[in-house]
Amino acid sequence: MKKSRSIRLVLLGSASMALGACGDSALPQDARFYPTVQECAADYGATACADAKVAADQALATEAPRFAQKQECEAEFGAGNCETRQTAAGGSFFMPLLMGYMMGNMMGGNRYAQPVYRGQDNSAVVSNRGRLFNVGNFDNAAGRSAFRPATRVAEVRRGGFGTTAPGYGAPGG
Amino acid sequence: MERLAVTPRADWREHVERDLGFAFHTIAGAPYWDETAYYRFTAAEVDAIEAATAELEQMALALVDRVVQTGEEAFERLHIPRTAWEAIAGSWRAQEKNLYGRFDLAYAGAGPPKLLEYNADTPTALFEAAVVQWDWLQAAWPDRDQFNSIHERLIEAWKNFDVGRRRVYFSAVKNHAEDVGTIEYLRDTAIQAGLETQRIAIEEIGWDGQAFRDLDREPIDVLFKLYPWEWLIGEEFGAHLVTGVTKVIEPAWKMVLSNKAALALLWEMAPGHPNLLPTFLEPGRIEGKVVRKPIYSREGANIQVLDLDRVVAETEGAYGAEGFVYQAHVEIPAFAGNYPVLGSWVIASQPAGIGIREDATAITRDSSRFVPHFFE
Repeated sequence: MKKSRSIRLVLLGSASMALGACGDSALPQDARFYPTVQECAADYGATACADAKVAADQALATEAPRFAQKQECEAEFGAGNCETRQTAAGGSFFMPLLMGYMMGNMMGGNRYAQPVYRGQDNSAVVSNRGRLFNVGNFDNAAGRSAFRPATRVAEVRRGGFGTTAPGYGAPGG
Repeated sequence: MERLAVTPRADWREHVERDLGFAFHTIAGAPYWDETAYYRFTAAEVDAIEAATAELEQMALALVDRVVQTGEEAFERLHIPRTAWEAIAGSWRAQEKNLYGRFDLAYAGAGPPKLLEYNADTPTALFEAAVVQWDWLQAAWPDRDQFNSIHERLIEAWKNFDVGRRRVYFSAVKNHAEDVGTIEYLRDTAIQAGLETQRIAIEEIGWDGQAFRDLDREPIDVLFKLYPWEWLIGEEFGAHLVTGVTKVIEPAWKMVLSNKAALALLWEMAPGHPNLLPTFLEPGRIEGKVVRKPIYSREGANIQVLDLDRVVAETEGAYGAEGFVYQAHVEIPAFAGNYPVLGSWVIASQPAGIGIREDATAITRDSSRFVPHFFE
C-alpha cells in the first residue's frame, strides 16, 4: 500500500480555527499607551479607535483577572490597586484598576487593543491568555498620563525580509 | 494512465472547507481543486514514477556535492551570489537535513518519466496532494490505493529533524492564502511530531543586531521559510541569515537545486540519463523545439517555447534577469484537452507520492487545476 493509513489534522479543519488571526500574546512593536480609547484618534483615526474600543472592552470582559476576595487581588497587583465590579447576574468581584489601553498594529492588519492595569510598584500590566505582561510603569499612583514604556533591551528592526515578493507572483510554487 | 470524468461529490466545497480547512480550492474565482475528473494509473506505472523520483533525488544530491567540491566556478555557473557560497557549503558539510521537494515530471504512461524541473526550495501544492486527494479517495474509492504517504512521511521527517526542543517558526508572506495554507499544514504535521511551533510573517521577522526575533522578541532559532532563498539573501537582513545564526529549513544547500541552471548541470553530470531532458546554459545546442526557462522563476512565469528561434508559446512574468536555460521540448500528450504534469514528492529525500496539476495549455502555471488520482 502506498497511501497514508490515516490522516489526522490538529491545526487545520474542524478541530480548530487556527487559520484565523494571530492569537498570541505578542505586544506589537508599535504599541502605545492611551489613557482613553478616544485619545488614540489622533494616531489611528476615530473609526479605528471605535473598533478598537469594542475589542478592548471584549478583552476586558473575558480576559481581565477576576478575584472573589480583595486580598487575593491585592496580593497579585498590590495594595490599593483593585476595584470591585458587578457581574450581570448581580454578584460582585474584584479586578485590578483599569488605567487605559495599549494599542498598536498586528500581523495581518488587525488592531491590537488591550486593557492596561496598575500592578505592583506602579507597574503597567496587560493580561493575555491568563498570563500577565509588564509593559511599562506609571510615574505615580495618580498620574494616568505619566506612562513610561518598559525599557527595551535592544531595538528590533523589522521589514528586512519580504521586499522582493511584491514584484513577482507567489513565492511558493 | 487514463483520465476519467466523474461527478464531483455534491457537498465537496463545504466538506473540504469545514473538515479539512482547505481554504484555497478556488483561486481568483477559478476552480483549483478539480474533482470532475481523476487519473487512473497501473501499479507498474506508479512503480516507474517512484523509481525515477528516487533516482532523480540521488542525482540531485550528487550534484550538490559536486558543486560544493568544485566551489567558485560551479557557483558562478549557477548564478548564485557570492554571499551565499559559504552558507551553502557549510550547510552541506554539516549534513543539514532537508524536509521536502517536488519533481515536476512529464509522463503519460509510456517511456521513462522526464524531469521538467525540480522545485527544491519552496514547493507548494503539498496539502492538496497529501490530504485533499487522500480524503477524496477515502470518500470515492476507499478500496483503491494512491501513491501518497506524504502526510505520514512528513510527521516522521519532523521527528528526525535535529531541532531538539527549539521552537520552529513557520513563515510565509502575509495575505497569500495558498502559501499560508501550506505552512499551516506543515505546522500541523510538525505539531503531530511533538515539536513546538509558531507562525510569523516573513515581513514581521525582526533583527536586533545579534539574533532574529519574533513579535514577542523571542529569538528565532529555527525557521521554516516558504520564501525563496535567493530572495532572502538579496534583501536587507539576508547578510545576517547566511551567518547561520538561525537554522533554516530548507537548508541553504537547496539553493544549488532550486535554480534551473541546475538542470543543465544535471545533464552535464549524467548525459543521456533516461529521466533527464537535454538542457544547456547556452542556446543553439538542441535541435528541434526548445523551452527557454529563466534561471530563477516560479509558477511557470517567463517560459518560451521556441521552434527554430520562433516563439510558439510564451508566458509572462517578471523573471529572467539572471539569464536562461534551454531544455529540449517534450510533447506532453493531452488528456481530453488537458496537459497534466506530475508533481512527484520527496520527503526527507524519499519518494512520497504524487499530485497532478493540469492546464489547458502545455505550460503549467499558477492557474493550473489540481486533479486527484488512484492506482490499481
